[in-house]
Amino acid sequence: MSATRSIAGANQRRDIVLDGVSKRYGTLHAYGPISFTVEDGTSVSIVGPSGCGKSTLLRTIAGLEPSTDGVARFAGQPITKPLENVGIVFQRDLLLDWRNALDNVLLPAEFRGTCDDATKERAARLLDQLGVGGFKQAYPWQLSGGMRQRVAIARSMVCHPAMLLLDEPFSALDALTRDQMNVLVQDVRQNENVTTILITHSIAEAVFLGDRVLVMSGRPGQILDDIAIPFPRPRRLSLREEPEFTEIVRRIRIHFERTGILVG
Amino acid sequence: MTNPSTITANAPAGERLRKAAVYGQSLLPPILSAVVVLGLWEAAVRTYSIPAYLLPAPSLVFEVLIDKFPMLMRQLGFTAMASAIGFFIALISGIAIGAAISAWHVFDRAIYPWLVISHAIPKVVIAPLFLVWFGFGMTSEVLFVVVFTFFPIIVNTVAGLKGADPEMLQMARSMSATPLKVLWKIKIPGALPTIFAGIKISATMAPVGAVIGEFVASNVGLGHVLIQAVGSLETPLAFAAVVVISIFGIIVWYAAEALERVSIPWHASQRISTTG
Repeated sequence: MSATRSIAGANQRRDIVLDGVSKRYGTLHAYGPISFTVEDGTSVSIVGPSGCGKSTLLRTIAGLEPSTDGVARFAGQPITKPLENVGIVFQRDLLLDWRNALDNVLLPAEFRGTCDDATKERAARLLDQLGVGGFKQAYPWQLSGGMRQRVAIARSMVCHPAMLLLDEPFSALDALTRDQMNVLVQDVRQNENVTTILITHSIAEAVFLGDRVLVMSGRPGQILDDIAIPFPRPRRLSLREEPEFTEIVRRIRIHFERTGILVG
Repeated sequence: MTNPSTITANAPAGERLRKAAVYGQSLLPPILSAVVVLGLWEAAVRTYSIPAYLLPAPSLVFEVLIDKFPMLMRQLGFTAMASAIGFFIALISGIAIGAAISAWHVFDRAIYPWLVISHAIPKVVIAPLFLVWFGFGMTSEVLFVVVFTFFPIIVNTVAGLKGADPEMLQMARSMSATPLKVLWKIKIPGALPTIFAGIKISATMAPVGAVIGEFVASNVGLGHVLIQAVGSLETPLAFAAVVVISIFGIIVWYAAEALERVSIPWHASQRISTTG
């Protein structure tokens, strides 16, 4: 995998490029046409109303759901099948009940046949970093929702993904745990320098975690705005009370108010 | 009230005692009902002087049970062996067919109606046919056990494998998992609780199948003892054979449950015992 990394790195950047991509299911137009670029190593948040096709868009980028029009590219190659080098965190943690935390983290490595001692060490280290190092042998049902999602994040990172896709990963968690997770994800992705796309309903979360925020319209989802988030990293949670932060949040909210998604 | 440290120190012993009491209390109703039923039975036989060939008193059945114990155990050995061999053939073929049905839609469509028909046919009626087809002896008996027990295993295997969480499978796809690895690491472990439900039903049906097989196609085993005893109006012996078969069935059930506990300790149905 390091070979892939260096070849891609030497020849070209591993940007994600969407060019006029759209998706239809029969007469239902899910999203698009959408065009944007996520530059290698950056973090982009996509915020939009329910049913705007943002999760479908994410699956298109992962290669799980081919688009009907346009081209999505990763590192210059069209995405036509599930990408190998991608880590995904879903809204549900999807941990396997019969595996302890550590073995759940190792699952993608087992699937790829790369589960060696170094990977096991990395899995343990990731769990430590995410604050669940003391629960490596615990089974999913012995963990709280927040802890389970931390294990899921460790699982998504264990194979050194070139791309991290987060599909509303914290929407089932309580507000306090969600804040903790925002900080943890920021730290982990900073350490790993992994290109990240976050799908979320939370405007504050989108702004806090993104280098850019893409605002999507209702179905068929299109990009209404592309906002650069200038705050340096690491960001602190208290940033969310700063006037510059709230100004960006307001700008996004106005989009939703204008399109009738938010009222008041 | 008292010193808190005393409470803590006494807590484990007190807890054990309390649990034992609760367990004892849970045993009380079944024991009580058994005593009442057997007592009434015994009293009725004695009061109305019912002849033993019609309905033997529990005490007489017990007497015969003790008296004929070595013979009954020897015959149980034959029945148990036929049950075990038949059950394991049913288990392996049932899981294999179930996996094939869940994997290939065409196979599913082709074979499922036949399975349902085979299940709908009353097995007892076709037992004599086994005698015609496979002759007198162990082969007929074992094959009858197979036919008698394979259906719940197939149905539960299919339900378990088809019930895999679609999101889980999508996640596996995103991890570039091969279909074989998905089957081995996600589908089969996830299906185990359902498969075990089928195993428990089939395992307890196996001795029943063996006994029916012995009725028609064997000169050994408890089924043979039963049919002989009834034929010669040795009703107490027939009752003793029924008691032995029933106790064997109960042991098989608990053995299957123990195997389930060991195999899927992570499953919700098993957690009470691990945490409590």
